[in-house]
Amino acid sequence: MPRRLRVGPVGGSQPAGEPQDVEVPLDGGDVDWIDDVTAVVRGSDGVARTATIGPVRRTATGVARVEVVVDGWRFELEVEDAERAALRRRATRSAEVDTASGPADIRAIIPGRVAAVRVTAGDTVEAGQTLLVVEAMKMQNELRAPRGGTVERVAVGEGETIDAGDLLVVVR
Amino acid sequence: MTADAPASLRKDGAGERPFRRVLIANRGEIAVRIIRACRELGVETVAVHSDADVHAAHVRMADTAVRLGPAPPSESYLRADAIVDAARTTGADAIHPGYGFLAERASFARAVEDAGIAFVGPSSATIAALGDKLAARRSASAAGVAVVPGTLEPAAVDRPDALGAIAQEAERIGYPLLVKAAAGGGGHGMRRVTSAAELPAALTAASAEAGSAFGDGTVYLEREIRPARHIEVQLLGDRDRTVVALGERDCSLQRRHQKLLEESPAPGLTADERRELHETAVRAARAAGLENAATAEFLFDADRRFWFLEVNTRLQVEHGVTELVADIDLVREQLFIAAGRPLSDRIRAAAERASAPERHAIQARLSAEDPARDFAPTPGRIGRWQMPAGPGVRVDTAMSAGERVPPDYDPLIAKILVVDGDRSAAIGRLRRALEETVVTGIQTTLPFHRAIASHEGFAEGALSIDWVDDHWAELLRPARTAALGAARQAAAAAVALAGSPGGSVAASELPAALAARDGAPPDGSAWARAGRLMAQRRWPR
Repeated sequence: MPRRLRVGPVGGSQPAGEPQDVEVPLDGGDVDWIDDVTAVVRGSDGVARTATIGPVRRTATGVARVEVVVDGWRFELEVEDAERAALRRRATRSAEVDTASGPADIRAIIPGRVAAVRVTAGDTVEAGQTLLVVEAMKMQNELRAPRGGTVERVAVGEGETIDAGDLLVVVR
Repeated sequence: MTADAPASLRKDGAGERPFRRVLIANRGEIAVRIIRACRELGVETVAVHSDADVHAAHVRMADTAVRLGPAPPSESYLRADAIVDAARTTGADAIHPGYGFLAERASFARAVEDAGIAFVGPSSATIAALGDKLAARRSASAAGVAVVPGTLEPAAVDRPDALGAIAQEAERIGYPLLVKAAAGGGGHGMRRVTSAAELPAALTAASAEAGSAFGDGTVYLEREIRPARHIEVQLLGDRDRTVVALGERDCSLQRRHQKLLEESPAPGLTADERRELHETAVRAARAAGLENAATAEFLFDADRRFWFLEVNTRLQVEHGVTELVADIDLVREQLFIAAGRPLSDRIRAAAERASAPERHAIQARLSAEDPARDFAPTPGRIGRWQMPAGPGVRVDTAMSAGERVPPDYDPLIAKILVVDGDRSAAIGRLRRALEETVVTGIQTTLPFHRAIASHEGFAEGALSIDWVDDHWAELLRPARTAALGAARQAAAAAVALAGSPGGSVAASELPAALAARDGAPPDGSAWARAGRLMAQRRWPR
């Protein structure tokens, strides 16, 4: 059964590139052979290439990073589940479109750590009021309410590590 | 040790070791290369090193090692005084400078000579005479060698009244032309001028740059020869003033004056052209009183004419290419020459054969540079390190798995050389060797070399010094994109097999997978089946 994963380049010598969903088929698929160090991958051009794979490292947020060298090119890739990626896309969208009514799910748009929680469930908040402080890349970012309402739920606690797309606060 | 071996056992007729103890004033692959030659002769070796190289291969391989100072070259490998002191205190009777660093500093060679230690290379007088490019042009020209058209006297940059005369010279030479530094090298103190209007500014800029880089602001004019190939001749001379040519190398594949790939013989030369080139090079070297190893560089133009550029008074990075074609050991020969021996019979015989070479060799310079980012340096720690082997393959390196490539020095990490019966066989062998090569941890120039080795234009011998600038950009993107596609697939599969993000690998399945791997015969299809089976077994959910 094929498995969908989202693979995108990270830092280092990577040029900017859109992450892509990659199907990983198993039966007679594109990965002919794989062990702990190498994989033989058949590309869309029909050429079989040997990939040298480094150890899979998990980040604090659960995303996997792995170094892969193919044809002498070295890539550092980030891999996450497609469902998680879809969630992240939704989060990005909901951040862009501030709805004026109905429950607002406030999700993390960047991975980081919750530095402070300023509200609790039942609090009445005004638009622009600080809900959380998120620390990322050594910077503190205040997360504000997109509109006024009542805090229905606070899904995270102080000190918690969050990933992009994680649900943080629900405002009704 | 081998000093007691009977002379009759040596095919090149050199009976005893040339020196007792040689200090190698260099690092990296060339230090390793020289130590190897010494060990084969039973000569003890002294390494010198900076703080960045305490655990480097050349230090481990040498019999003794002496610390020079901190990592920056100016505080370590360029400290002539500390190196001569190290030779004195360790009792070395010779110093081999390798290439780069102090190899072509006449003052260093003189300090070594004055200390009563043999300098393995041309004399300080020869280095000084040939290091001044303008003086070398004059000397070669006087010996009847066709030098690149241009001036033979310094351009009087500092005198505004002389500008008219320089402009006249420039008209005579023709545009575009190059303003070059007499003390120059590696493109420093060099300016390209396309019209008379650009000349005054170019003269001032080149002179200022040369002044700060070399401490000598002398510049001269030279015609820009385009299209051109860079072809150089390996020379060896002894104390009796015998100078021989040991074949030529085509080093046209370069970028910003840095060579990327070299081969010998130069493709497409007739035996007559080859003979004429070798004789010309010998003439230029003899005029400068060459002793030991040097290389005469020429440009070969579209009308099949050779134009003399300069003589490098050192062992070249690409010397191994000549060694493979001529079946000689240049470093060994350098040591015997420095010890006062005449050229060996083996070298003389190789010189006789040089105009009709029966083998072809190619060298790919593997560097810690990113060919996708304008060859920016990529220092760091090497992960896996798998070098090619098998028939006709030689690898000169000081690197290995886990080794650090320091940011302080040249990014060259390995020279991959191949030799075969003819050029097309050698290219096939190079392609194969580069397919076997794996380096992880840092980006290297391997993709560039792989692209060259399978490029039609290269196979046809269509070389020029502008080839890399003209072709690399268009080759780069498709090559990298295809590799990235495969890398994505491999990464996704690897992560999936290692457990979905957040999950873990079932411990019980790992031994089974290992057993399947160990038990499977080393047959391609069976291995692939075992791999797939393993992949399926380890699939989460």
